[in-house]
Amino acid sequence: MSTVYFLVQQTMFFSIPLLIVALGGMFSERSGIVNIALEGIMITGAFAGIIFINVFQGALPGQPILLLGIIVAALSGMLISLTHAYASVNMNANQVISGTAINMFAPAFAIYVARMLRTVQQIPFVNQFRIRSVPVLGEIPILGNLLFQNTYLTTYLGFIILAVSWFVLYNTRFGLRLRACGEHPQAADSVGINVYKIRYAGVLISGALAGIGGLVFVVPTSTNFNATVSGYGFLALAVLIFGQWKPSRILVAAFFFGLMKTIAAAYSGIPFLVELGMPSDFYKMTPYVATLVVLAFTSKKSQAPRAAGIPYDKASR
Amino acid sequence: MKKSIALLLILMMTLSLAACGSPAPAEEPAPEEPAGEEPAAEEPATEEPAEDGTFELALITDIGTIDDKSFNQGSWEGMRDYAVDNDVSHKYYQPSEKSTDAYLSAIELAVRGGAKVIVTPGFLFEEPIFIAQDEYPDTNFILIDGVPHSADYSEFRTEDNVVGVLYAEDQAGFLAGYAAVMDGNRDLGFMGGMAVPAVVRFGYGFVQGAEYAAEELGLEPGSISLNYHYTGGFDATPEVQTLAASWFQSGVEVIFAAGGAVGNSVMAAAEQADAKVIGVDIDQSAESETVITSAMKGLGASVYSVLEDYYAGSFPGGETLVMDASNDGVALPMETSRFESFSQADYDAIFSKLVNDTDGIASGMVVDTDVESAGDIETSAVTVTLVN
Repeated sequence: MSTVYFLVQQTMFFSIPLLIVALGGMFSERSGIVNIALEGIMITGAFAGIIFINVFQGALPGQPILLLGIIVAALSGMLISLTHAYASVNMNANQVISGTAINMFAPAFAIYVARMLRTVQQIPFVNQFRIRSVPVLGEIPILGNLLFQNTYLTTYLGFIILAVSWFVLYNTRFGLRLRACGEHPQAADSVGINVYKIRYAGVLISGALAGIGGLVFVVPTSTNFNATVSGYGFLALAVLIFGQWKPSRILVAAFFFGLMKTIAAAYSGIPFLVELGMPSDFYKMTPYVATLVVLAFTSKKSQAPRAAGIPYDKASR
Repeated sequence: MKKSIALLLILMMTLSLAACGSPAPAEEPAPEEPAGEEPAAEEPATEEPAEDGTFELALITDIGTIDDKSFNQGSWEGMRDYAVDNDVSHKYYQPSEKSTDAYLSAIELAVRGGAKVIVTPGFLFEEPIFIAQDEYPDTNFILIDGVPHSADYSEFRTEDNVVGVLYAEDQAGFLAGYAAVMDGNRDLGFMGGMAVPAVVRFGYGFVQGAEYAAEELGLEPGSISLNYHYTGGFDATPEVQTLAASWFQSGVEVIFAAGGAVGNSVMAAAEQADAKVIGVDIDQSAESETVITSAMKGLGASVYSVLEDYYAGSFPGGETLVMDASNDGVALPMETSRFESFSQADYDAIFSKLVNDTDGIASGMVVDTDVESAGDIETSAVTVTLVN
């Protein structure tokens, strides 16, 4: 049983950042702006958050500083995503190019600033954020072991973001407008919706969430930040597509990817999987093969927002 | 609104240009600098030009940086210490990419910058130095962790202006494995980065050190298990963290992490599981409370001593120095180690055995050129499980 607990706890470290970042990408793409800058924004968010934690660690207790670090990460993510929004909304630029520019800019910027501030490129932090067992809830048999032991505040934050995202997208006026702008911005404009404002909002939300995702990604998996998130921003894009731009499916996709990644990495320590005798490559490629298969079968009625990637031109109806 | 955003964008772009371009032109040694060259001149405290603006000592990094907490950093610190102690101008250069051409252009840059001695850490420099030793006969090269050879390995030649320095990583790994078992650990793990010769030697030495300790303690055959894995990279990733966590979960007590930032992910997993880590190359005890010791190479010390020889007029040109226990090329940092029972006396005993080659433990070591994989090393007490 302890193996199952271990697998579930470990899966969270993969799935939660993927979930948060993919939800961020969803807000941007549902508003009509393709955001392949998720990787770069994650790096920016992780960088700002870790710098903040590095400086203020010791002055404040563990959990509050993590929450403040998350806010810093979100703000820095929004700041850098502004450039993407400006280029793609105001300047009608190619959204793939401005996204690529951010992806190239972010690690260079992180290394440059880190070296300016500390002369070395790595920014260390002390991990005092792990929650061994949540009071009361951690005592619940089975469920407590699965969800409330050896965990991080960020795990619950991920689920809160999921719930809020779903609510905002489907049950608010803003959500409806956002979706309309991603499907048919001219129609939205004709009924008085400011497409530019909505698209700005979409990109900024994606920036905030991707920034948070970057910090959430780094904290449990290393003891310092070295200007990289190992391609997880791009993986989040795959999750977004596999999840067909819908919050509930993104949840499933994020956990599917997370579980497969965990199994591929951890199988040598799990007796049951060792006995199966499958090569780890099998687990490693499964999520990608599944993405391909899903895309192949759903591409006909694919749910990609119809106007995603197309700059809004008032004149074309 | 539009204007303020435009302003912000301009600000960002200026910053990005600053980040991509070469910073601080005031301290650049040579007027022409290949694109992408980052002399990292933002650290004025770490480099000192001579009065005519040249740099007598130069270090060229391989794929890492001078703060990689590993190879480049160790070599850089040795050169810097010598330069500061003796007031010699010094500087480091970072090639634009990992290729022989890029390394050669960095060497050219250093020579034009007035370098008399160039330190090149890493076996990736074997081929560039093979070419450069003829091209710049008046410049001296210290090649750490390699010997110059041609691209197809058909010709090995070390000219009088080059000294190659090799380390007995197997002995450092041996010490780590021995100490781990003597300290009471029975479930061990080895996690290397890429399977390059130095990493492989660390791993093989680790296996044999554990075996040697088990024999000394008279343990039953098969009483020690050792998981053996190469991550294939030198990055900290959730995959590495998960793999390490799964090993700890299945009972592994200590993992020897030999692969740059791979160690940071193993440490993160160890902190979570209250387990132990053995660091590599330099003393990594400050990185995490979980680091019980480190399999160190005396990188700085060897650079320092060769530089001393150079200025004393006895540069050992044309030779290949092998740094091992007998000349303090490898060690465990006992002052900062967090062992439970393994004492300084125990360490001194095994170290002197390596130095004196008692029972041929140093000369009889199985190294990377002897067997294909760690599973082929003959062991009785240690059961090696290869994990792919």
